[in-house]
Amino acid sequence: MLAPLLISLKLSLITTLILLLIALPLAYLLAFKNFKGRTMLEVMVALPLVLPPTVLGYYVLLMIAPNSTLGRAWYAMFDVSLAFSLSGMVLASVLYSLPFAVQPIQQAFRAIPQAWLDMACTQGLNYQQRLWVVILPASKAGFLVAATLSFAHTMGEFGVVLMVGGSIPSETKVASIALFELVEMQQSSDASLLAFILLFISFMMLSLVYSLNRQSLGLCK
Amino acid sequence: MKHCMALNAKVGSLMLHAHATFDDALILLSGDNGSGKTTLLRCLAGLETSVQGQWQLNQQVYLDSTTHCCMPVHQRNLACVWTDAALLPWLNVQKNIMLGQRRQHASSWHDLAEVLKVSHLLSRQTLLLSSGEKQRVNLARAVYRQSNMLLLDEPFSAQAPKMRQYLRDWLKQWQRQWHIPVLMVSHDQADINNLADQHWQMSDGRLMTTNTEQHKEQDEPFHAF
Repeated sequence: MLAPLLISLKLSLITTLILLLIALPLAYLLAFKNFKGRTMLEVMVALPLVLPPTVLGYYVLLMIAPNSTLGRAWYAMFDVSLAFSLSGMVLASVLYSLPFAVQPIQQAFRAIPQAWLDMACTQGLNYQQRLWVVILPASKAGFLVAATLSFAHTMGEFGVVLMVGGSIPSETKVASIALFELVEMQQSSDASLLAFILLFISFMMLSLVYSLNRQSLGLCK
Repeated sequence: MKHCMALNAKVGSLMLHAHATFDDALILLSGDNGSGKTTLLRCLAGLETSVQGQWQLNQQVYLDSTTHCCMPVHQRNLACVWTDAALLPWLNVQKNIMLGQRRQHASSWHDLAEVLKVSHLLSRQTLLLSSGEKQRVNLARAVYRQSNMLLLDEPFSAQAPKMRQYLRDWLKQWQRQWHIPVLMVSHDQADINNLADQHWQMSDGRLMTTNTEQHKEQDEPFHAF
């Protein structure tokens, strides 16, 4: 029971770190820039919100299959298959949790008063200085919410990781799949414990998100 | 030194036409609400993108549509005080004043904080300041940035009458000391009477320039309301 939990935590942590790196430029583009294809990009980012996880898993599986371009390139570089591996699951999880990382940061960027950005420009701050001095500190709460939601959402994945990871014990079997299998095998005491641990993690994560949201709205000190 | 602007811009429904030459003087800008005073300041600072024409300060070209030259806002060495103080709430007053500026000799900015009556606020959080204090911190931040021109949008509007007179005297003295042009938007007749080397007026986006002596003769007595 411990191995699936550790795999889930590892998957969530790696996914969250990668997502924060990807979400920053994406959210910046969507919040501040007007460009051709902006709506398309916004739709693509939000798509995992409405797509059945198995559909996303299916396409990711096609994308990383051993005979696909990406699958072949990965095999040539690392001598392992991308499909049914933790790396493949990370890729799928990043795509699946993308809106949970991008949207809070995008909203935080949009909430920055225009007067602050104008002031920063007229104080002589260049693009990079504005990012470090004004934009990132002003959207700190958005980043924390994005990280928490991405982590919690990845912990709770089922369909995508089952399609892409294949539930190989000690390799790609995550906690949510392990719980399903425990129930199927009628090991109810283990199933209850695992379910409670997952419930507890999700509860703590959401408590954190809501308290951060309240703080960012200035509702509590 | 002579500076010149010949700006045409369409900002929202406002058509702005501002043609003027000026030297290192204190220029007061007044006009009805919505006549384009703040828009003119934003155009000069480079915050409006639809501006056509020429704008040259200290022989440095900030804008020249004929050669498609438009200097980015952060490179124009203009210090601005907007009506929204835009103090960053996660920084204390001192850090707000020094925002983006290289650390200068401590005495220079201590003197500035002292003279603008903000030295007792330096370690405070900006959310706890009164509107008058915020305005003076905003002014200190702009002045601390040693610039080629000062653009002030109603910089004393939240000050009590005594403080307002004090700041007027300080601004006049400061401008005489540093000899840089100051363009200040104000509705206060006392500001115009006490400060203006030149008085400009905006009407429906059109800039009209007159010199102060003529203006003073034409002026009617000011009635506060």
